[in-house]
Amino acid sequence: MPPPEDDDVNDDEATRERKRREREEREAEDANEEASLDEFEREQRRQRREAEDQEREQEDEEGRSKLPKERASDLRPYPLNKEFRSQSVLSDELREEIWKRVAKGGQDVAEVSALFGVEMKRVGAVVRMKTLEKDWEKKGKQLAIPYQKAILRMLPITPYNPKSSKLTPHESINDLPVHPATRQQIFYPTSESRVFTRADAAKAFSDTLLPADERIPHPELVQLERWKAQDLPREERIRRQGEKDRRAREEKETRERKRKEWEARHLRAVPGQRWDFRFEDISVEDAGSDGRGRKGVGWRYGMPHEDRKRGMVKIPTSVE
Amino acid sequence: MVRKRFHGLKRPRIRQDFSKETLYNLSRLTTPGAANRTFFQQKWTAKSMARAYHNPYVREGQWTRMFDRRLPAVVSMSHQYLAKYDGSEMALGRGMGLEVDSRRRDDGREGVAEGEDGESQVLRKRDGRVEKTPYMHMTFHPLERRLDTAIWRALFSSSTKQARQFVVHGWVKVNEKKMVYPGYQLNPGDMFSVDPERVMFATGARKSKKGSPVSDQEAEDRRVERNAAKSKEAAAANNSEAEEGLEEVEEDEDSDAGAATLESDEDREAMTTKPEDEQDARKAMKNLVLRAKRILEDSKRKLSGKRQQELRSFAQSVRKTMAKHRPSDAVLAEGSSSETNSISDFETALAEIMTKIPSDSLPTQSTSAAQSDATAAASSNPQMQQPEKTDEYNAARDAALLSQALDRARENPIDVSKPYATPWQPRAFMSAFAFIPRYLEVNQNVCSAVYLRHPVARPGLAEVPTPFGGEVMGLAFNWYLRRR
Repeated sequence: MPPPEDDDVNDDEATRERKRREREEREAEDANEEASLDEFEREQRRQRREAEDQEREQEDEEGRSKLPKERASDLRPYPLNKEFRSQSVLSDELREEIWKRVAKGGQDVAEVSALFGVEMKRVGAVVRMKTLEKDWEKKGKQLAIPYQKAILRMLPITPYNPKSSKLTPHESINDLPVHPATRQQIFYPTSESRVFTRADAAKAFSDTLLPADERIPHPELVQLERWKAQDLPREERIRRQGEKDRRAREEKETRERKRKEWEARHLRAVPGQRWDFRFEDISVEDAGSDGRGRKGVGWRYGMPHEDRKRGMVKIPTSVE
Repeated sequence: MVRKRFHGLKRPRIRQDFSKETLYNLSRLTTPGAANRTFFQQKWTAKSMARAYHNPYVREGQWTRMFDRRLPAVVSMSHQYLAKYDGSEMALGRGMGLEVDSRRRDDGREGVAEGEDGESQVLRKRDGRVEKTPYMHMTFHPLERRLDTAIWRALFSSSTKQARQFVVHGWVKVNEKKMVYPGYQLNPGDMFSVDPERVMFATGARKSKKGSPVSDQEAEDRRVERNAAKSKEAAAANNSEAEEGLEEVEEDEDSDAGAATLESDEDREAMTTKPEDEQDARKAMKNLVLRAKRILEDSKRKLSGKRQQELRSFAQSVRKTMAKHRPSDAVLAEGSSSETNSISDFETALAEIMTKIPSDSLPTQSTSAAQSDATAAASSNPQMQQPEKTDEYNAARDAALLSQALDRARENPIDVSKPYATPWQPRAFMSAFAFIPRYLEVNQNVCSAVYLRHPVARPGLAEVPTPFGGEVMGLAFNWYLRRR
């Protein structure tokens, strides 16, 4: 085994120091704010703080009898590859909570994602698989529970404690993909006095490229933060957010309605014994001049299939 | 032609599997030196090392067609930063934003914090250097999209080769539809599921013999233990021979007889009195629980015909006692509903177990743990002062604990018919390879996973797991770059 690295040891110390400082800061903040709070809120805060303290004590006690927390080097499965580490997975309690909020509580995926610090796609996947799991349970199918327990014991885990007010974020939710247009370095002359913003930079790279603020998965968080910076009162912020949500909902409904109308106009369903047949008008021209256009429907006379040619892959490219 | 060695120890290759050979080779893997070697040689070595790990079942021509020099990456943005700045602050200073020497910063913060008032998008290491995005480690990212690789990455099989076999044999579904092509390229949002039995087989400990549920590791341990005991015995016999002569005790046959030897008076009473004849319900319950415990303890040994008969009679007596006491039982009715529930659970569980016991045996750690729990709970029990109440409390608690233990046993039962050792436990050396990359979301209970997105690189982290360092990956990338 290699000896523990210095930065890991420093890590621990730095974390402890940071925690202490954070706690002090928080206490100072609370003391400042306390003056402006009513009694009910003060009481609530006191209770929350007590719960947190208790939890911390409990953790400390447990910590004494347990193995020490793994260091960064312990999470590296391949010693030569410093650029890879075993990242934490969601605990079962957290998955359950996410499923409850989305499937039962009907909360928005984006909202749950921002709350728990879990990517939106991951939230969707968790809900989908939890639903399957519940379905299996109902049908009495055997779940691989010993397997699950063993695997979760081997991996680092993002915990979920319903009693504690602070949540551990699982991952960064606002990942900005590196756009192919931005891979080149360009020299764009502009006057020194000009305020050259992110939007201008995006334009310089490509006419269709949007600025980072709009390309991230949670642009609404940026907007919220801006309102906070403008010192808008809480009620106003809530009202605006509500307004925005309502508009988005309406837009979605309109889109759905329009799709249905289009289907009613263009699609004709003929019920069969086992299947409903749906007829839709198509254009012959879609197949293009060589009859192999991607939008073309059916087989054009005189054009042999290519699937027997050498090198043609017949593996399906998608499963619905 | 002789088949090439897959796990060579002379010329070690890292493979995508959980084997001890791979673990050993990983421990002595080094980055090959560049001294006295041409650039071509370096590249050749690097690509052959990398390809031996990254799905060698994909032919080289196939892979070169999949290779893409544009490697995907992301940068994680902070919404606070985006709200605060519009980007024009980057033109300050010498044209790359105001510089702050992070080494002089004393607030001990790390990560995203840089810039004028501690905010910037630039991720820095502790020593102030900017975290680089390890693009080269993403060279083999198209292979991570393959179904067989994804199954192995989700820890559903012990190697990519086995994952491939599962797919070909029809144990794998993609979006609830059977998929028999290991080369299927997963699309973001695809859910793949493997048959749980296959997964348990692939990741579980191996059986020692066909007709026994014991894992090979456990069998080995037992053999070693037995040998140690024998040698000790022999040594002791040699010593005592001179003094006392021959006094051969048939210790080996003790295994079955020892099960019947009773340690305490309490045990003896529990074993001898018939619970159904007992008038006191509480006492009857207690006796039952004690006997059940003994049986569960003993059952790890091979059961003789006599012992099986005893078990059957015990099962009968359980049923009789329950029938006699439960409906009119004031003591049990007094207790909370959960207690009575657990007792009825206990009854059904016992009955279930009894039907199985003659052929199989039961796990014993859980029960012994439950036992120690029970004793611990009893000793710290505030009701100790009143012995009557304590007895009642202990009886109910024992029953609950026992039923819990039985539940656990039911979750992970012993079953000789399974192709893996039971109760299920992970195979040897698995934990060294256990990690799940972030582009997969796995639900182990239903042995399903969702391929969320393609793997990406981000500052300081590449999501394609590879055992090699940056140099090797860079050279391998260069090798494939050559032809396009």
